[in-house]
Amino acid sequence: MFELVQQQPSRPQRVVVMGAGGFVGASVVRQLRAEGIDVSPLTRREVDLLSDDAAQGLADRLKPSDCLVFISAVAPARTAAQLADNVAMARSACEALGRVKVAHLVYLSSDAVYADDASLVTEASCLRPAGLHGAMHVAREAMMASTQVPLCILRPTAIYGASDPHNSYGPNRFRRQAAAAQDIVLFGGGEEMRDHIAIDDVAALLSLCIQHRAKGILNAATGESASFRQVAELVAAASGQPARIVETPRQAPITHRHFDTARLIAAFPRFAFTRLSGGLAAAGAAAKGSPSS
Amino acid sequence: MSKPVIGFAGMTHLGLVSAAAAAAKGFSTVAFDSDPARVAALSAGKLHVVEPELDATIAAAGRLRFVDSAAELSGCDLIYVAPDVPTDDQGSSDLSGVEALLDTVRSAARSDAVIVILSQVPPGFTRRRATGDRGLFCQVETLVFGRAVARALKPERIIVGASDPVLDLPAPYAAFLASFACPVLRMRYESAELAKIAINCFLVASVSTTNMLAELCEKIGADWGEIAPALRLDARIGPHAYLAPGLGIAGGNLERDLATIGRLSAAAGTDACVARSWQVNSGRRRDWVLRILHETVLGDRDPLIAVLGLAYKENTHSTKNSPALRLIRQLAPFRLSVFDPVVGSEAVSFHGRTTVASAPLKACHDAQALCIMTPWPAFRQLAPAAIAAAMRGRLVVDPHGLLDNASARASGLDHRVLGRPARG
Repeated sequence: MFELVQQQPSRPQRVVVMGAGGFVGASVVRQLRAEGIDVSPLTRREVDLLSDDAAQGLADRLKPSDCLVFISAVAPARTAAQLADNVAMARSACEALGRVKVAHLVYLSSDAVYADDASLVTEASCLRPAGLHGAMHVAREAMMASTQVPLCILRPTAIYGASDPHNSYGPNRFRRQAAAAQDIVLFGGGEEMRDHIAIDDVAALLSLCIQHRAKGILNAATGESASFRQVAELVAAASGQPARIVETPRQAPITHRHFDTARLIAAFPRFAFTRLSGGLAAAGAAAKGSPSS
Repeated sequence: MSKPVIGFAGMTHLGLVSAAAAAAKGFSTVAFDSDPARVAALSAGKLHVVEPELDATIAAAGRLRFVDSAAELSGCDLIYVAPDVPTDDQGSSDLSGVEALLDTVRSAARSDAVIVILSQVPPGFTRRRATGDRGLFCQVETLVFGRAVARALKPERIIVGASDPVLDLPAPYAAFLASFACPVLRMRYESAELAKIAINCFLVASVSTTNMLAELCEKIGADWGEIAPALRLDARIGPHAYLAPGLGIAGGNLERDLATIGRLSAAAGTDACVARSWQVNSGRRRDWVLRILHETVLGDRDPLIAVLGLAYKENTHSTKNSPALRLIRQLAPFRLSVFDPVVGSEAVSFHGRTTVASAPLKACHDAQALCIMTPWPAFRQLAPAAIAAAMRGRLVVDPHGLLDNASARASGLDHRVLGRPARG
């Protein structure tokens, strides 16, 4: 279920963002501040969630009136050790919340919690993670729910943006390949359909969830999927470079993923997503403007 | 024997229509409801139920007597217990009303009177309430909103659930059923109770299959309107199959039956995945209009949305599970202008930004988008050119295809119909 506890949005007294140093966290902090919300960003420097005193360290920084946004993760979790670390980090957060029960908790999960072959995904789709990363989020969602703090879980689909540090297959890698005047390399013909969401849209949705004190689970997806070939073509067109799109022999069967975004639309009917073409062009332009990213 | 006197208890939709049909068949009929105000209104010819031909049927029958005292049922040879059974959002039935009314009827009836539960009850209910000391039967109701009188007067068959289906029906019951001149199928209680659900499951299967394929049509450039006639000519599918795409399955009763199947199957350890899939598909198609509005006009600055039709389907006053009201709830932040030929403004009073118009075209005035949510026949008469002239925007979401697509397009409207590609 998903409900807006406050039909009319209002700023919380303060939002503590745990994991503010990462790709998503930094964007969330920027978004909330732009909306005039008092934000306390926390990174590993302030609270190392894997340290022995992490729970107390985080609890010391929380007030009962806070909204806590929990984003910290070693992502993607690919090894058993990374899975265990991610669970340990969530444990620290849960213990901190046991000491200081905040007013609202927002957990950033992932669509990796759903089965790989789930084609039309809703929030009610079966949780059947194919890998450790999804299993990690399933476990952490349950841990967050066990705190008894009013909880909103956001499960974003693949996020793209200029400052994404990951180089996984998709818009971010294609953009870097195009910027470096390399070929954009597709798996097979790039037939797979995926829903790609702009980082700014994720941050804006998260802000809406905070300001409406949302409770429950919401997929953060646009509802419009595109094939990797279409993404590559959009990236190539936006790059201004004569990027070539190269197909490679297919190694794995084609799977598609679409989202049924009825819950999101019903909750936030005015919300307008960044169109993929515009979002990819903006990400390309932003990346050019900041060579460090 | 002389004609039996027939009693009906519970004067909501089912009971009222059934009592009217019995009287129209020439039987002396006693119609009991414990609400004196309702009985007074009915006696004065004021009906709280809208059904084609219902007023005329009651007026012409003459043998129908509305009473608010259960003691009056003592003169009846055959008494139907027929209150509507309310359902909640989860499709669970609240059986307390029918339980209580059955007790009332049993206390008031003569010891030789036959009692028939006409309300839809879940499998197991009648056996649990049968005491063995007098005849208790259940009979499957096949009420269809908007066609209730016609179906009550001329049922295609009558399904009777009995404690022992081999035994002959009591004389008053047999005489009454014979007046309908249709096949009477006797079966055990549980079979009859499940037969109703079975009928609905087959209807849902047709509707859900239609809805699944209609969505695919919209995406791949096919037109369901071209495909459906081919299916109707297939003897295995048939001319009366439910092949009109809809906004999921609505109305409450079908959902209740799917929920019942889910509960029974879970308890019995049988598979009900198919029924679960129907529920999922229904949930998805229910939001078809909202999705289109979100893709098109909801991002505009304070758009005005016109909604024609509030009733859950044509020719009924019922708004229970109405797709229109669901949409209106979802459009809470937006300005709305609505019209329905029967349903009054009280149905939308929960929405603070709604204007109730006095005519369809007035509702369309200055609207960015028009949604025709109930297939009232009158809406088919609306000229697309007049709609286009009244509206500010071009989007007409017409799930049931009431407007002629070619005329709508010729008038410059962006006419969206279930099962048809957006620009097809």
